[in-house]
Amino acid sequence: MPGRGRPAVLLMIFTLLLAGCTASSGSDTAESGPVRLSFWSPLRGSQEMVDEYNRTHTKIQVDFEQVPSGDQGGWAKLSNAARAGNAPDVATIEYPQLPGFAIDGVPRDITTLLPESVRRRIMPQAMDLTTFDERTYAVPVDIEPMVFLYRKDLFTEHDIPVPKTWAEFESSARKLKEAQPRSRIASLFTTNGTLYMASYCWQAGARWYDTSGETWRISMDDAPTRKVTAYWQRLLDDDLVRVEPASSQQWRAHLQSGETAGWLAGAWAAGSMMASTPGGKGKWAIAPLPQWDPKKPVLGTQGGSTFMVTKDSNHPEEALEFISWMVTSADALRAKLSSGISSAYPSVPDLVPVARKEMDTSYFSGQDIFGLFEKEAELIDPRWKWGPRMVSTISSGDDGLARAGAGSGTVLDALREAQSKTLPDLKSLGLSVTTH
Amino acid sequence: MSTVITPGKRGKRTGTAPPAASPVRTRRAGRRQQTLATVALLAPFTALLVAVFLVPVGYAIGLSFFSEDHDGLGFGGGETVFTGLRSYIAVLSDPSFLAGFGSVALYCVIFVPAVVIGALALALLLDSGLIRLRRTAQMLLYLPHAVPGIIAAVIWLYLYTPGLSPVIKLFAQADITIDFLGLHTVLPSIVNIALWSGLGYNMVIFYAALQALPREVLEAARIDGAGGVRTALLVKVPIIRSSVLMVCMFSLIAALQLFTEPMLMNQATPMVNSRFTLNMYIYDAAFRRNNYGLASAASVILLIVTCALSYAVTRWAGRRDRSAR
Repeated sequence: MPGRGRPAVLLMIFTLLLAGCTASSGSDTAESGPVRLSFWSPLRGSQEMVDEYNRTHTKIQVDFEQVPSGDQGGWAKLSNAARAGNAPDVATIEYPQLPGFAIDGVPRDITTLLPESVRRRIMPQAMDLTTFDERTYAVPVDIEPMVFLYRKDLFTEHDIPVPKTWAEFESSARKLKEAQPRSRIASLFTTNGTLYMASYCWQAGARWYDTSGETWRISMDDAPTRKVTAYWQRLLDDDLVRVEPASSQQWRAHLQSGETAGWLAGAWAAGSMMASTPGGKGKWAIAPLPQWDPKKPVLGTQGGSTFMVTKDSNHPEEALEFISWMVTSADALRAKLSSGISSAYPSVPDLVPVARKEMDTSYFSGQDIFGLFEKEAELIDPRWKWGPRMVSTISSGDDGLARAGAGSGTVLDALREAQSKTLPDLKSLGLSVTTH
Repeated sequence: MSTVITPGKRGKRTGTAPPAASPVRTRRAGRRQQTLATVALLAPFTALLVAVFLVPVGYAIGLSFFSEDHDGLGFGGGETVFTGLRSYIAVLSDPSFLAGFGSVALYCVIFVPAVVIGALALALLLDSGLIRLRRTAQMLLYLPHAVPGIIAAVIWLYLYTPGLSPVIKLFAQADITIDFLGLHTVLPSIVNIALWSGLGYNMVIFYAALQALPREVLEAARIDGAGGVRTALLVKVPIIRSSVLMVCMFSLIAALQLFTEPMLMNQATPMVNSRFTLNMYIYDAAFRRNNYGLASAASVILLIVTCALSYAVTRWAGRRDRSAR
């Protein structure tokens, strides 16, 4: 055993030293000819979009690199590249992680660069999520109101009403379990469920992160959060939801077999369901997310991405021009959708007709799902803010949720732990933080 | 290699003048050769020590006093500035770091005695001649150490995972449910992996020490009527005390740096979180949180704890040595 621990440490130190040196080369112009931009994204359809852009534009040419999604190493890749000074001109980032990257100085402040004509077309709730301290750091691509995908055939067969409130959701869950003891209404996601839990709390009016003046106010166990976590804890304790990781093999198998009869997720989930569970065609439908108070309906988002211009970019204006095209032009959306099925809800509402036209909704028995998304998107609560270190907050929360799912600790404990594990990080960065 | 001059030659310098014709030249040549040899022999070690230990340690200490610094909400990027002990304060006030400390301490308390006593017992058994096929037994016991740590962890993880493990299946047939990755079993499961790969190695050290025992002492013990067990415990073990101490210390140092096994188990069970041990905390701080100041501060704290504990063990053993005499 001696000598086994030491190489690990040495390896770590060396990796630490080398960490700054990896990542791909940046982009620089040739003396003449078009400006070349580099673009990183894990999103499907990006290559098609870039091809279309390069075909129709001469002044700017884009080199695209498909990168792993954030939790698969994409975040680390981007921050290492930024540290080494060779981040791409344009990078893709999800909403929760954006504040952390903005604090690290990875995205460029585009407040003044972003043309008003583009800003005006984007949903204000989406813009709010990329604007901190009145500075804008990224352009929203899609915004994903949370909806309820469910097995319409099973609900009809057992005469279970589609829940409009969370109380009804619980009684529907009980009815379904009675009618089909092997089936559950939905899943409580464990090893990757923090962001889902965040959306439920968002809807209930929680404010995990807030700013007052120059201080972060953090509370991952405020009253709305306690209400939501108590609710899910009860579903968990009464065995009314299936406990499994999102996107796992077993979860997909349960969706396929009907043992899991629902999925609460962002609008994008419709396309994902069509692609991953083709056998469900004609069986699934989409309903609005249950509400706490149906008279005052409100929603959180789940998923969604943004494009940033990095600080390293030598061509911020061209980069922003390319981003604006990707986000606001119908051609870009069509090119993206040509790569396969996507139900991502565009952050630019006037593009919805394009997305609706491209989408064959026979999977959902012809339901006008984009019409539903459009209505739901209006309900997104604009007050929610993501925190300064979500990558680590999320992974701490996921650890705790996994334990809660295994019966040790509670859902609320998981969030409290995520908060207490995040604070030292923030303090060591010199941020001004209070908890309440 | 033939130019190696041992310190034994020093005697010539202090002794009476040798009869050689030019003693000064010889002495000078000798001294030069000696210096050359010392340099040649020490150079590789020193170079490695500096390159893979002192420089990284210095770098880590330096990093630990610097950090990104932000004002207020922190948007727009910060500057790397001297922040003094801020990272240290953050680490020491981090409940997950202290929890990591706790799990490593518990691991040490279980692992170090188990591996030392286990290896010692095996070595004494082999040495007693009670076991036939001594060489084969020795080799079989040593074999697990030849398996790289990460592979060992994968193998054991396979045996621990419900649904995959033949062991769990076997127990299930006897109506016994075992959860190797549960809240209270996960640490013993990790200890088990480390024992499996560490026992044979340490046993070889003890066995080698036992082989070097003066046979006349053992003979005397036998003549005095000591049985096998008494000879082992009262004669053999005290004589190889220094080996025991060394193994204790190495095991302790290795235990403090626990990383590979829990890192892999982190993928398999929620009971091992991403900051389960001190080293995992450091890894997480550096590569998941990009907080190099925090990671360096934690590394330096781990280094200090390791040095302090090693020193304490040596001192404690030294005092016992003296009082035993």
